[in-house]
Amino acid sequence: METKISFVLNGKQVSLVTDPMRRLLDVLRDDFGLTGTKEGCGEGECGACSVLKDGLLVTSCLVPVGAADGSDILTIEGLSATKRGKCLADAFADGGAVQCGFCIPGMMMAADFLLMGNPHPSEEEIRIGISGNLCRCTGYDLIVASIKLASERGNGLW
Amino acid sequence: MKEKDIADPIRRVDAIAKSTGKQKYLADYHVDGMIYGRLVRSTIPRGKIKEIHLPVMPEGYWFVSAKDIPPEGKNELWMIQKDWKCFAEGEVRYVGETIGILCGPSRDVLADLLSEIKIDYEEEVPAISIEEGLACKGGAFVGKDNIFCDMTTHSGEDIDAVFQKADRIFEETYRTGFQEHVHLEPNGAMCMEENGKFVILASAQCPFYIRKSISGLLGLKPEDIIVRQTTTGGAFGGKEHFPDVLCGPLLVACNKIHKPIQMEFDRSEDTCFSVKRHPSRTIIKTALDKKGNILGMDIDVVYNVGGYLSCSFVVLQRGVFHATGCYAIPSTRIRGRGVATNTFPSDAFRGFGAPQTLFAIERHMCHLATFLGVDALALKEKYLLKKDSQTNTMGKIFEDVKLPEMIKKLTDASDYYRKVKEYRPGCMKGIGLSLYNHGGAFTGNGEQVLIKAHCKLHKSKDGSVEILIGSTEMGQGFQTECRKIVSKILGIPIGKTIYENPDTSKVVDSGPTAASRSTMIVGKLVEEAAREMLPRYAREEDFTVETVYKHPEGFPWDQEHFVGDAYIAYGWGAAVVEVEVDPITYEVKTTGIWVCHDVGHPLDELVVHGQVNGGVIQSLGYASMEKMENKKGFFKQDSLSDYVIPTSMDFPKMESYLVENPYPFGPFGAKGMGELVFNGADAAYAEAVSKAIDRPITEIPVPPETIEELMEHGN
Amino acid sequence: MVSTYMPKTLAEALQIRHDAGARPFAGGTDLMVAYKRGEGTEPVFPWPIMLLEKVDELKGIAKDEKGNVVIGALEISAHIATDPLVPWHVRQAASRMGAISLRNQATIGGNIGNASPKGDLPATLILLDASVVLASVRGERTMKVDDFIQGAKKTQLADDEIIKAVVIPPPPKLFTYLWYRKIGTRRANAISKLSLSAAITLAKDGTIEDFRASSGAAGPKVERSRVVEETIIGRNIKDVKDFLPSFLDAYDKVISPHAMPEYRRHVTRNMLERFLSECAKRPTCTIIE
Repeated sequence: METKISFVLNGKQVSLVTDPMRRLLDVLRDDFGLTGTKEGCGEGECGACSVLKDGLLVTSCLVPVGAADGSDILTIEGLSATKRGKCLADAFADGGAVQCGFCIPGMMMAADFLLMGNPHPSEEEIRIGISGNLCRCTGYDLIVASIKLASERGNGLW
Repeated sequence: MKEKDIADPIRRVDAIAKSTGKQKYLADYHVDGMIYGRLVRSTIPRGKIKEIHLPVMPEGYWFVSAKDIPPEGKNELWMIQKDWKCFAEGEVRYVGETIGILCGPSRDVLADLLSEIKIDYEEEVPAISIEEGLACKGGAFVGKDNIFCDMTTHSGEDIDAVFQKADRIFEETYRTGFQEHVHLEPNGAMCMEENGKFVILASAQCPFYIRKSISGLLGLKPEDIIVRQTTTGGAFGGKEHFPDVLCGPLLVACNKIHKPIQMEFDRSEDTCFSVKRHPSRTIIKTALDKKGNILGMDIDVVYNVGGYLSCSFVVLQRGVFHATGCYAIPSTRIRGRGVATNTFPSDAFRGFGAPQTLFAIERHMCHLATFLGVDALALKEKYLLKKDSQTNTMGKIFEDVKLPEMIKKLTDASDYYRKVKEYRPGCMKGIGLSLYNHGGAFTGNGEQVLIKAHCKLHKSKDGSVEILIGSTEMGQGFQTECRKIVSKILGIPIGKTIYENPDTSKVVDSGPTAASRSTMIVGKLVEEAAREMLPRYAREEDFTVETVYKHPEGFPWDQEHFVGDAYIAYGWGAAVVEVEVDPITYEVKTTGIWVCHDVGHPLDELVVHGQVNGGVIQSLGYASMEKMENKKGFFKQDSLSDYVIPTSMDFPKMESYLVENPYPFGPFGAKGMGELVFNGADAAYAEAVSKAIDRPITEIPVPPETIEELMEHGN
Repeated sequence: MVSTYMPKTLAEALQIRHDAGARPFAGGTDLMVAYKRGEGTEPVFPWPIMLLEKVDELKGIAKDEKGNVVIGALEISAHIATDPLVPWHVRQAASRMGAISLRNQATIGGNIGNASPKGDLPATLILLDASVVLASVRGERTMKVDDFIQGAKKTQLADDEIIKAVVIPPPPKLFTYLWYRKIGTRRANAISKLSLSAAITLAKDGTIEDFRASSGAAGPKVERSRVVEETIIGRNIKDVKDFLPSFLDAYDKVISPHAMPEYRRHVTRNMLERFLSECAKRPTCTIIE
């Protein structure tokens, strides 16, 4: 049952006519070609599909696109184009956070959400902040260190 | 360029593309006219296929199966042997065995069609556990006895004679369970046609393995098929041979339909229907003299292979060669068997058979110490392998074994000796130490005889140098390390080096990206090629250098009898884990992790640091929470909410140390490390928990409910 | 393909529920998983779906004139976890549901409506004698959460009803000590293996004026027995060593775990013993750990 669904995507107003129960994840990847958001599990467990919806970190594999109608959606592509996104990407690169990289877009979104609420988190707070993002390669230590690095370098960005 | 040590970290060459979301993985590629594939699989663990009832296929949808293999092709995937079928024909050996592939433009329609397919089976009695497999429950389905492979090694005096004269014998059985890789990127591959050739895109560790495995399906030669690795989101051995299981059906389907076909597993498919780590049962019997000295060990190793062999014989061999761990045991007999069961075949997983037996020997040494009334670490130190020690295949250790230095580093850093005294057994706090190693690269002369790795470097007019090897980047940092090697030797900026994901039509076969061989063997070839290029670099505009592996002289190996130098060099590791067990809920809080490794010399400190962190956490997950049970052929934990892997909250930041021990045949002294870092933290965790609750632990994983059981019932 | 509705008001939603039998869909964190079909596919539901995202009347956390805390069915657990009006136990459970992103999507209405034996919120709501308000075109009715949830995935929701709100009454007497513990499959982002919520009110002289305990993930539904609770009401907490053994035995009969029964029973006993023994020490901190 196709419906017109409109939302702000990475700062731009967009709309499409589609079945509202299609997953936001698939709409982002297939309809808008934004493949930075990944499908790791399809059940909201791994965080690889994380986006910000109205400023809240959500797993887009569980969001029907109909629920995004009227929302403000930010994906990794949108985040990367901002100053704070560049700061995070640089910190991740310099801090050794990236191995296979598949979890990283989700980690970036979780880091951004964390820093927006808490610009200078402790190590414990960072671990809590990314606890919904699974990583199998890094064992988390260097991701945590990289987010700390970003928070130190990015004074005033969050 | 300023003279820096190669170990000085640089920004990984792939980091920015990955952290900005720009890096594409298999499922991110879209090709014109592309359709999708979805595997149709067996839903019973053992039996015969009587009839397949297909729904009416809509226009543009296909069901491809064994009948679509052309007459010049054979229904087999060539891994080590050719026993794994591409499509089940007649018999099914496990839940999840591929019967066919559905193809079409909409994944939603494919899901509909999948639910409408009905298959009639004649069910047979399955064998699931190691014991059931050995007992040939339901009748043997592999040979006469369900044994895929059987091998024995000997060293020292005749073991039966040794046990005859023993004063006392200590025997114990150890078990480990299935472990699922959970690479964050599920398995995925694509097949299409380009200029009359079939092209495979795959999230894979070994593109050359894929073309060798599947070309026979169409009666082609391996070089007739082009395989291109796509940036791989984690593998850990789960994408070493397993991509064949996706690429085979895709190739047959593409040959029939003549459209590009993409297939990416859903996570639940990946969890239930992909290869795992072999469950194991290891029985260690130690002969002791009157004074409590170890005279010999008689070890029996059995791995649960599952329905097909895949590379299980090689996994078993490594398990056997590592069965005495870091210890020089005067006499040994080690028997290994791979048993057939009706479970999804097990295959490569970081450590490749060594973790299972290393866990066993570490537990054994700790419990043996208790039996003898001595300190566990003191007992281990008494028998440590040293330079020139004989191994359990009657070979030698050729390098300085830095374990004493590593033990000192960790016991100082963790305050081990004080804690081991202070934490009385059963006080709900415990600290455990484990020692481990990992033989680098392929066993014996496998590098020389089986692989014959090649490396090619090409200098272009603009001064850039391209590394044209078949090794793959799967997160372990190999692309960065190789580019560093070339950059350092030629004195050119790293931006002038190129190393793309391999395309089998453009690069040479450097052997599989596995066995911790990439740095040690291929990295060395890259170094040699760069050194060969160096004098010519300035004067020649455009030229290629190729190097081929040459096995160093003086390391004899008899592959038939498993005698000699199984490995030329080893990585070595030590781990200390400290825990607190909650007396109310039996949950374990890990309060400290200290690890130390000898990887020769790091090619990039940050890359090595990351690999250590990842391997240790994966090993701790294996010990503490990764329970994967197979009930009547079905994996009970079928999603990421049930099969739990560690989050950022489950373990604290670890302290990681390296010791220098340059390896003369490795690039800049480096040895393998990818698997070493997995091999030991699990045993340290088990020891810590065991001491905390004052109960022996001989099996992992040991989640809270098992701890409660142990505390209540003792076994 | 089934129809999907996106009502903007409660009245509209109730009408659609009545006319089309559309299933209420809140955060979707249960439904999207239960009906998923694979990589890159849309979930397929056997009934029409009604996305309640836009119905503001289902949101809000407030106190009514009687002192009840009223939480709209569509409130996400992230809000519930931090709103000071929400009673402590419920905030504890809400803050431990899944992970951050799940808490930004999962709602109290969905958690109750799904009625999973492992759901986090119901155990705390049942402890506090909370009720659900059920709305339909016929009007509204209220019933205790403990009656509404009948068993695993079974509720008393009529075919034309939607969960509108959760009403949590204040306890007749302020609690002296509180306990909440969820044991997950790991330390974060975990499904509940077992939970215990408990509360006790003590008079100055130690008389137990009220006591409650509810167990989650220990049976097909949340287990709580007022009868067993009342066996220690009126006793003095300093006599805990005397009444504890028979109390623990009685409580053991209340829970009915299907899987890991030994672990769940043993740990429940440990937690109850810990709670009551600590209470007997009359600590200054309200929260017992």
